[in-house]
Amino acid sequence: MTLHHRKLLASVLTGALLTCFVTLAVAGEAPTAKAKKGKFGKVAKAVDPAPAPAKSTGEVKPPLQVPAQALSERELARLIDQHIDQRLAAAKIPASPRSDDVEFLRRIYLDLAGVIPPVEVVKAMLDSTDPNRRHKLIDDILNSDRYAFHMADLWSTRLFQRINDNRAVPKQPLQDWLKESFARNDSWHQIVTTLLTATGGTDDPNAGATIYTAANFGLDKLTNTTTRLFMGVRLECAQCHNHPFTNYKQTDYWHMAAFFSKVRLQGNPAANAKNATPLTVTESGKVGRGKAPPMPEGAKALAPKFLNGPAPTIAPEASLREVLAKWLTTKDNPFFARATVNRVWGQMFGRGLVNPVDDMHDDNPPTHPELLDALAGHFAAANFDLKYLYRAIALSETYQRTSKTLAGNEKDDTLYSHMAVKVMTPEQLFDSLNAVLGSPRAIDRKLPGLAAGKGVGIDGRTLFVNFFAVDENADVTEYQQGIPQALKLMNGARTGKLPTLAGFNPSWTPSQVIEHIYLTALSRRPTAQEMSRLLQYVSRDSDRTSAYGDILWAVINSSEFTLVR
Amino acid sequence: MFEILNSDKTHAQTRRDFMRLSAAGALGVGLSGWLNVLAAHAQQNAPAGQRRHKSCILLWMDGGMSHKDTLDLKPGTRNGGEFREIETNVPGIRISEHLPQLARKMNEGVLIRNMSTGEGAHQRARYYLHTGYREGVGGLSYPALGSIVSAELGQEEFPLPNYVSIGRSFGSGFLGPRHQPLIVNDPTRGVEDMRPLVSEGRFNSRIGLLEEMEAAFLRQQTVASAQAHRTTYQRTVALLRSREVQAFDLSREPQASREAYGDSRFAQGCLLARRLVEVGVPFVEVTLGGWDTHENNFNRVRTLSGTIDTPIAQLITDLRERGLLDSTLVILMSEFGRTPTINTRGAQPGRDHYPRAWSLAMWGGGIRAGQVIGATDAEGATVRGRPTSALDFLATVCQILGIDYTKENNTPIGRPIRIVDRGAQPIREIFG
Repeated sequence: MTLHHRKLLASVLTGALLTCFVTLAVAGEAPTAKAKKGKFGKVAKAVDPAPAPAKSTGEVKPPLQVPAQALSERELARLIDQHIDQRLAAAKIPASPRSDDVEFLRRIYLDLAGVIPPVEVVKAMLDSTDPNRRHKLIDDILNSDRYAFHMADLWSTRLFQRINDNRAVPKQPLQDWLKESFARNDSWHQIVTTLLTATGGTDDPNAGATIYTAANFGLDKLTNTTTRLFMGVRLECAQCHNHPFTNYKQTDYWHMAAFFSKVRLQGNPAANAKNATPLTVTESGKVGRGKAPPMPEGAKALAPKFLNGPAPTIAPEASLREVLAKWLTTKDNPFFARATVNRVWGQMFGRGLVNPVDDMHDDNPPTHPELLDALAGHFAAANFDLKYLYRAIALSETYQRTSKTLAGNEKDDTLYSHMAVKVMTPEQLFDSLNAVLGSPRAIDRKLPGLAAGKGVGIDGRTLFVNFFAVDENADVTEYQQGIPQALKLMNGARTGKLPTLAGFNPSWTPSQVIEHIYLTALSRRPTAQEMSRLLQYVSRDSDRTSAYGDILWAVINSSEFTLVR
Repeated sequence: MFEILNSDKTHAQTRRDFMRLSAAGALGVGLSGWLNVLAAHAQQNAPAGQRRHKSCILLWMDGGMSHKDTLDLKPGTRNGGEFREIETNVPGIRISEHLPQLARKMNEGVLIRNMSTGEGAHQRARYYLHTGYREGVGGLSYPALGSIVSAELGQEEFPLPNYVSIGRSFGSGFLGPRHQPLIVNDPTRGVEDMRPLVSEGRFNSRIGLLEEMEAAFLRQQTVASAQAHRTTYQRTVALLRSREVQAFDLSREPQASREAYGDSRFAQGCLLARRLVEVGVPFVEVTLGGWDTHENNFNRVRTLSGTIDTPIAQLITDLRERGLLDSTLVILMSEFGRTPTINTRGAQPGRDHYPRAWSLAMWGGGIRAGQVIGATDAEGATVRGRPTSALDFLATVCQILGIDYTKENNTPIGRPIRIVDRGAQPIREIFG
């Protein structure tokens, strides 16, 4: 038993987790009188002798209601608005009006493409009179490479957290495979099934999906990541000893973990760069060769059983992960579609209908339960088509509302009376800075490393992202950066001296330069007041180029640049 | 402000309170601009005696300092090695002959010879000793000691970052970017990005433009994130214009005192640490690599001992002379010790990783100095009596610094995580 798990047991004994652990599945060490009298004796006194049984544990969750046919995207958008407007009316909170085109354009680009819109797109939008221009824009983005790239970026970060234990596992193949899958708009159930069941070598061509298992290798890691990302459940709390906030039992945890018990890994995911060899993931009915997933000692080996679901009958030779994937990605699975819809909603609105997005349980109910179920049902009916879901949300008036508040809705942050203002992620910021400054190179290659791990090749973007990283679960509407990050943008080599504008034309007049700075960086034209103030600024400087640099410097360091309105 | 930071509110609440206060002008940051920010730093000239928090300087010997060849010698035993012991200025306490200056500071410090920590791989052990949690456990990224100190003792209105690392270290994990270390790669060159790359006049013009844009945006859209963004930039500008920022500039140190430290990077790092603590930075880490002496252990440890001996002794002297030693804890440590046995794989004998029994040293911070905590057996292989775990050690450090190590910080999703996990017991003998 490791120290960690001894402590885990100890804290179980103290009763710190009564609602979390009702049944102890830790083998060999029952809560004995001796343990109670030990080091933790003092705390143990506080233990309620008869803890109330957990509410919903073990109960079978009813299947999701899936309509026979999915609504069209426009119809689903209207359904979203109906649900949202109903609640606003009931709460007597006024809804802000529709965003103007530039606000919408910049928002949808950052949300779906992960970068500010190119200057030509901004100009075309400003000049367009086509009544369908927003719909066309949404389609254009969803069909672009940037959409696939951004989705792969988002998901590879979630699927693969770089730690020391997986330092020899390559990330790029996963990213490439995801990008191709999103570009083809593969059904989400197909992508997840492949991720969960892939076998083979991490160096095989097209083997990106196996990276998921290699990077998360470990019975607990695979269980935690899988349930969190694809089921919206933080089951890890049933393994951890810190927060008793769900009703899941520890047995539920190990029943789910059992689905990963036959997977094997050959090769060492924590090898040093110099002796790293390709890794191979296998799973067969018989006990396979290679390393079994590290299993915390003291955990009971239980039979595979679905969370809040039945114990499946499994043929002895079957792949357990396939059994799991098949159950999970069924249309009426109570977790899968809801979790996905909720996560997508969170990406678009800055908070999930259940928030945090991966913390769905009875005591953390959705703000709009019927809407969540309706969205999940239609998403499943549409064969888990992600573009369908994004399109429907983006077409809704709810999504297209301005982020400016009205008297009476300033305080609302759960009913969607106005759009939430999000802060750019480090990835969005890096890519957007590149879009403005016009070079794919790193902002500053000499970024200090935060124990990034020796031997791991790290590019400028990763360095930048690590330096600006916020916790995966941090509130995206909160500005979290500190002085070192501000210093990097103010005085870093690329932005601090004389930042240069992408596509700059030396023959432009001062007002053309100012207009281009605004169009490129802020996706809008300067107001008359801003224009006259900045023209005055340029005219007072004998060195015009430096004056332009000052303006660009101020713009990329401004709130308006770094916020997604 | 100070009451808020010391209350038992969660990190996030504190941060929101701070934003609200600053928005209300409580810090003197009105719409009139940046210069008022400077005036708000009432505390910058407070004499050392009135400083409101302790500081910590962590001297990190990266790679694993051989305890048997530095702080816990076993001369005359089979694997005792080549070095002799010398008396320190505390009768009965002896350390390596290659640390003669530090031997004369023993009356200011404590040796802990019963460290036992259970992680024998560099990265995992570094992470564990810095954070008190094992990497990857519970799906969280945990804050390093420096970030914890920054969050607990740092002051929001303080113009310098509250955690400075000279060399690489670990970051703030779920405590967020505000408590990330400011990293100094080369102490003699100062902080990257600390100096504007344009003339002062032009920099001021840029700041003026930015402030106009910020104000205009906020008039249009009063949103907390924009307010926080503006506050962060104002603090950064205040830092650049502050007197404290000069602490980073070693060229301002008299030549004689620079020379007293020596000119190695580590020595200059120690000097920089002293300058930062003097102006009120609560946590500075200085890293010296090269201690992974699988081969050629004795020659390398001799050289490395020479590298650290004078600067650390000088650091202690300087802190004492400035009246800062009682409020500044200096820690000399590694991620683990090295094997009691000597390997002969290479051309020159070496020692390998060894977390089971090892030593570290502390000076200052108001601890009961001049003593040794714990002991190892005749071979330096096992701990005699009660060992000091990583958690015990971190709890001890927190207690010395005045941090409640049992306090829970909330992760962004509201999982309460103790500063030091359950099971920690501070070393009682260290407290006077």
